[in-house]
Amino acid sequence: MLLLLFRLSFLSFFPSLSLSQHFAPTGTKPHHRISVSLNFKQRKQREEKRRMMMKLDTSGLESFSAAVPSAMAAAEDQLFAPPSFDLPAGCADFDKFQMEAKQTLKHAKGTTTLAFIFNQGVIVAADSRASMGGYISSQSVKKIIEINPYMLGTMAGGAADCQFWHRNLGIKCRLHELANKRRISVTGASKLLANILYSYRGMGLSIGTMIAGWDEKGPGLYYVDSEGGRLKGNRFSVGSGSPYAYGVLDNGYRPDMTVDEAHELARRAIYHATFRDGASGGVVSVYHVGPNGWKKLSGDDVSELHYKYYPVQPTPVEHEMVDAPPA
Amino acid sequence: MSIFEYNGSALVAMVGKNCFAIASDRRLGVQLQTVATDFQRVFKIHDRLYIGLSGLATDAQTMYQKLVFRHKLYQLREERDMKPQTFASLVSALLYEKRFGPFFCQPVIAGLGDNDEPFICTMDCLGAKELAKDFVVSGTASESLYGACESMYKPDMEPEELFETISQALLSSVDRDCLSGWGGYVLLVTPTEVQEKILKGRMD
Repeated sequence: MLLLLFRLSFLSFFPSLSLSQHFAPTGTKPHHRISVSLNFKQRKQREEKRRMMMKLDTSGLESFSAAVPSAMAAAEDQLFAPPSFDLPAGCADFDKFQMEAKQTLKHAKGTTTLAFIFNQGVIVAADSRASMGGYISSQSVKKIIEINPYMLGTMAGGAADCQFWHRNLGIKCRLHELANKRRISVTGASKLLANILYSYRGMGLSIGTMIAGWDEKGPGLYYVDSEGGRLKGNRFSVGSGSPYAYGVLDNGYRPDMTVDEAHELARRAIYHATFRDGASGGVVSVYHVGPNGWKKLSGDDVSELHYKYYPVQPTPVEHEMVDAPPA
Repeated sequence: MSIFEYNGSALVAMVGKNCFAIASDRRLGVQLQTVATDFQRVFKIHDRLYIGLSGLATDAQTMYQKLVFRHKLYQLREERDMKPQTFASLVSALLYEKRFGPFFCQPVIAGLGDNDEPFICTMDCLGAKELAKDFVVSGTASESLYGACESMYKPDMEPEELFETISQALLSSVDRDCLSGWGGYVLLVTPTEVQEKILKGRMD
């Protein structure tokens, strides 16, 4: 039953593909200019015929496979449909199993990521710690995922979930480019991801991501999460360290910053979050998305930043043993 | 998260040649949020006896106050300081008194006994004593600490080498724990002097 749900709720948001026009029925045929007097019955029949021929163009709503010969459809179906996963074998009560699985994998979104738009583009920054409960499993996780040369996604929540779905999104964006001969907009990419995550709502995915990029309309930033939410905005921070990052970010933000000032603001915000939050730490990565795509600005170790911002003061010594001066 | 992981802590004590060292981290947190980076976990009972208390911070402080009270009474009655072995039995008894509503702390006791013989032991929250000849660990980072100490420890180390070893073991273990760290504190005790040192560690 659940597999059917994937199919039913999947809405294709591709603009009408040029290929489909060869196959969808066209509009009405041109009329011959003869004056014909028709009785009521003939007029009615002619109207019905016209209505039947004037079909609504629903090619945008149906899946690509319906409009294309079956040989191609099978291959395309695998690419366009959301991946469907096998149910675990030998499981009598799937709902109960799913509840238990969700409890086991309860991720606390232990991380800090942030992104903001300013006059010169978008800055995206993140820490690099992965934690399993109290244990630090890695201090060098790449949390800023490069979807394509002009779009970035951030990772918060389940690492596997984020990595898989961002890669899936990258695939869809590339297919869109190939099908439409133009890049996908940030709006479109974030909508693609949000719709997929909505269809898996309630199944225990844990993703809190931001899609940042530069398209024809300029800089774009969207927040997308595994509950199916999608928000457009200018400043976002996601993760367990986000309250601390917001404090620094909101205080220092100005739309007319230079790239260097914005860089330092993002770095400082993430540093403060790693200091206060136990689940954030490691290395601060900062990226900048401009009109020519993204560029990695820096990757600084958080500990070194601490001693740079707050150098160690020599403490006054109360009692110090010194050798007696030679007589 | 369990009650023992509410505040976060890391403690280790090591034995050297006629000396011992006891070290702790300096973080006080409320689950994932860090509230203080100068929290004291190692307390002095008398010049040659120290106790470190990991686990719930409030219980650690209360336990310390009760122990200081009991030791002062002992000093008044016996007119001398308590031996480390006696003190360990006292801690164990106090913890077991609360068997069905325990203090959520795990002590690490380190002291110099007769003939300047170093003594270390640890206990669980109910008072089960565990004596060791080499090192004892406690806290949220205890599993990492066991591994680090086991590989870095050598018997009969001189004070300087002991200090290096215990510092490295502590810092590398808390770097794998979200709930402890933010600096380190090491106390090195020899028959003639006591050295307190604060370690510069990762602040994340």
